[in-house]
Amino acid sequence: MKQVLAKGAESIIYKVEQWGLPLVLKWRQGKSYLLKDIDSQLRKSRTSRECKMLTVSRTLGVPTPAVYSVDLNKHIITMDFISGTQFKQLAGQIPRSNLISLSYGFGKLIATLHEGDVVHGDPTTSNVIIDDKSRMWIIDFGLSEMNATTEMKGVDLHLIHRALETTHWDLQETMLDATLEGYVEVLGNTAELTLSRMKEIRERGRYH
Amino acid sequence: MTLYCLGIEGTAHSFGAGVVTSEGKVLSNEWDMLKPAQGGIHPREASRHHSELGPGIIKEAVKKAGLDFHEINLIAFSQGPGLGPCLRTTATIARTLSLKLETPLVGVNHCVAHIEIGCLESNFNDPVTVYVSGGNTQIIAFAGGRFRTFGETLDIAIGNMLDVLGRELGMGFPSGPIVEEEAKNGRQYHSLPYSVKGMDLSYSGMLTAAKKLHSEGVPIPDICFSVQETSFGMLAEIAERAIAHTKKNELLLTGGVARNNRLTEILSGVAERHDARFHRVSPSLAGDQGAMIAWNGILQYNTGHETKVENSHVLPKWRTDDQDILWR
Repeated sequence: MKQVLAKGAESIIYKVEQWGLPLVLKWRQGKSYLLKDIDSQLRKSRTSRECKMLTVSRTLGVPTPAVYSVDLNKHIITMDFISGTQFKQLAGQIPRSNLISLSYGFGKLIATLHEGDVVHGDPTTSNVIIDDKSRMWIIDFGLSEMNATTEMKGVDLHLIHRALETTHWDLQETMLDATLEGYVEVLGNTAELTLSRMKEIRERGRYH
Repeated sequence: MTLYCLGIEGTAHSFGAGVVTSEGKVLSNEWDMLKPAQGGIHPREASRHHSELGPGIIKEAVKKAGLDFHEINLIAFSQGPGLGPCLRTTATIARTLSLKLETPLVGVNHCVAHIEIGCLESNFNDPVTVYVSGGNTQIIAFAGGRFRTFGETLDIAIGNMLDVLGRELGMGFPSGPIVEEEAKNGRQYHSLPYSVKGMDLSYSGMLTAAKKLHSEGVPIPDICFSVQETSFGMLAEIAERAIAHTKKNELLLTGGVARNNRLTEILSGVAERHDARFHRVSPSLAGDQGAMIAWNGILQYNTGHETKVENSHVLPKWRTDDQDILWR
């Protein structure tokens, strides 16, 4: 039995039952409108990258779904199904104090990645899941990278800022402040450099 | 009563004037683009172009609309964002006309105007907009009373990237159409840096690598082909991310680079995959021109927005998401 959970930008997410467990099957479907060389290269590299980075991130102490199997030719990953709600959906429905503590927790997890020189690559609130026991999970590591530089970490923070201002425009200040507080809590003074880079990047893309 | 709005555009290298009615009928749309003999656009030369040709273009627009200056009810102008000297020249012309004709003045956001003229033409209500031009590469959607930038370039705009590449390859300005022609004869794809960061992207690394291909003697058609496929592929991906994220079911392509047929083909594929409707703004309304400013002026004026001359200073860094959109 396959149930479509979501149709993302680069994949279709199914919920399947295998070995008596509820699992997620992530399939990076081909795109006929892209040049074949580019499409197959992206599907392959992102599938393999995602598998690797899910594991690397977990090693650093960030909860991520465990990978059960991968098919690099069909571009399919089978991994844990996390029963919970996206932070994106939760944000508008919870009391301010909960929102602050969740954002703070999110900031800490991103900082934990950065501390290990890993960037997530797409740190939106859609890619954060709060499970039934209020535990926070990070998913979707297809754009994640290792050996991250200050610039890459700055971009990661910039993307958080961007996601908050577009998706949670009415809560963005509360959420951003708490997220960055959590970030600094983990990284201490070393956060300074990345935070100033974030601001610099934000200005760079703007029309001058 | 029908309103006749004269819209004046002059944010960068193009100067345009158009007349649009409050029913959304485009009566005229005249423009001229500065084409530097070599190099990029110098703001001072562009503003001189505007002050020299502007008055004639405006006269022509009013004449082609079949109107007399005294029948114009509203003057709209591009208040920002853009190049300071160009904006100031345009604003000065608009203020003068407004005072002389005793007609209300409305300052319009250039990027918002691109979206609204696209919505007028396509009958779209709430699209994800891909706005691509010489100076802009943005993915915009309406949320919480404003047009919000979901993604954009972290360095150079796509049109600028194509122009710089074209200059390197010995093409004239603007290079986009020439690159498109050359790409049709490209056979061999050369892998180039593909840089997508969340819903943002970056073109500078790809541009450097493409220049390197040229120095290595790779044929120009192959370079153009590889650059188009890579840069448009990146754009398709962030557009796709925005659609998946916002769950909107309309995709609008606008701005000067919207004239590219390969980009149109790719983005219509994106829309199809997500069961969204797709529209590419027609060439005469896709680039920088006055009709879009006029139409946006009407939308703003109808919600009680008027720009007093003393508040009409230009806004070179006016962000798309800095304006409350009262008419939506």
